[in-house]
Amino acid sequence: MVSEEVLRTHLQELRRGTVVVASLVALRRPDYGYALLQRLAAHGFAVDANTLYPLLRRLEDQGLLTSEWNTEESRPRKFYRTSDDGQDLLNRLLDDMTAVRSSVTELIEGAER
Amino acid sequence: MSSLTDRYVAATMRAVPAQRRLEIAEELRGSIADMIDDRTSGGQDHASAEREVLTELGHPEKLAASYSDRTLQLIGPRYYLTWWRLLRLLLTWIPAIVGVLTGLSKALLDGEPGAAIGAAIVAAMQTAVQIAFWVTLVFAVLERTHTPLGLPEWTVDQLPEETRERQISHSDSIASVVFLLATIGLLVGQHFQRWTTDDGTRLPALDPALWSFWLPALIVVLLATVGLEIAKYRSGRWTWPLVAVNAVLNVAFAAPVLWLLATDRLLNPELVERFAWLRDGGTVEFARVAGAVVVLVAIWDVIDSAVKAGRATR
Repeated sequence: MVSEEVLRTHLQELRRGTVVVASLVALRRPDYGYALLQRLAAHGFAVDANTLYPLLRRLEDQGLLTSEWNTEESRPRKFYRTSDDGQDLLNRLLDDMTAVRSSVTELIEGAER
Repeated sequence: MSSLTDRYVAATMRAVPAQRRLEIAEELRGSIADMIDDRTSGGQDHASAEREVLTELGHPEKLAASYSDRTLQLIGPRYYLTWWRLLRLLLTWIPAIVGVLTGLSKALLDGEPGAAIGAAIVAAMQTAVQIAFWVTLVFAVLERTHTPLGLPEWTVDQLPEETRERQISHSDSIASVVFLLATIGLLVGQHFQRWTTDDGTRLPALDPALWSFWLPALIVVLLATVGLEIAKYRSGRWTWPLVAVNAVLNVAFAAPVLWLLATDRLLNPELVERFAWLRDGGTVEFARVAGAVVVLVAIWDVIDSAVKAGRATR
């Protein structure tokens, strides 16, 4: 019987990189922190707020996201958008995810034979 | 009035680099407000929603650390192995050496042999603590400043050659060297720090006339034995040449001592005069016991080394 603790750490390891992928995909439509959090959650990416907000900052520092303050609504919000560099990186990451996926499938089928 | 949110944002911003502070603060405040709004629109009261949101965001310094990409550990995986190797290397030898030197100087220069062992242990422990503290501090600073050390990458050539276990352990070698140095210290020390007799005169235990040749010779043999210990440690096991040298050194130490005991020249004649039981034939008894101990120790040592060499070459 796998303990909850072991399961949790392995899932965490597995999910770690996918938050970046999900954010870069989602932010092709500009959005602000909390709205992005909710969108990701609605699509099954349960990200902690204290992980996502700093992550957005770091991706911006790396030039993968651009940002703009929107002051038209009730409170000023910082909107992030995936940059051209971010899109390039995203394509590479998606290719890699596909490769991993097909490798795993191949491996499973190979093992069943 | 400062709200919980204000206090939370302020606590987070204290640990964020100054040039980004205002912007991050405003964004964080907005995000917190969004999260609270979402909960209050579901019917929750503001105060408990605020508590819940801030609890979810967690420790402000932890949050600030992930904003500034800072590590929350003293020494991370990048430097851990280097730190640990250096620390072990320094702790293996330096405290022991400092302890021995302190003990000897306490016994010989200050003339307090009784306090020597205590002083040696205290000095060794203090040195160990100092080494551990400063080495760790330097590595913690390196970790924080992201200083590249430019250390060479690990290569397969660094793999140790022997796969068999070491026969000679670190601690055994250190204990032997310390014991030998302490013996030398005693030989020298007994001359300066003398036994105090009843009438207040202080006498060396061994005959001072021996300093013309025999005591220096014994000290040379002991120093050679220290050399043997080091050679043995480097080879990692007993070898037949080492056994031969060990036997020679044991004879070189035991033979003169036996001869001096047999010819009644080891103990200080003045000291013998002071003690009735030594004067009345006690020296013969002393020579028998001391001689037997010296012979047994030497024989045991040589046999032990031969057995270990035999085991190592099998």
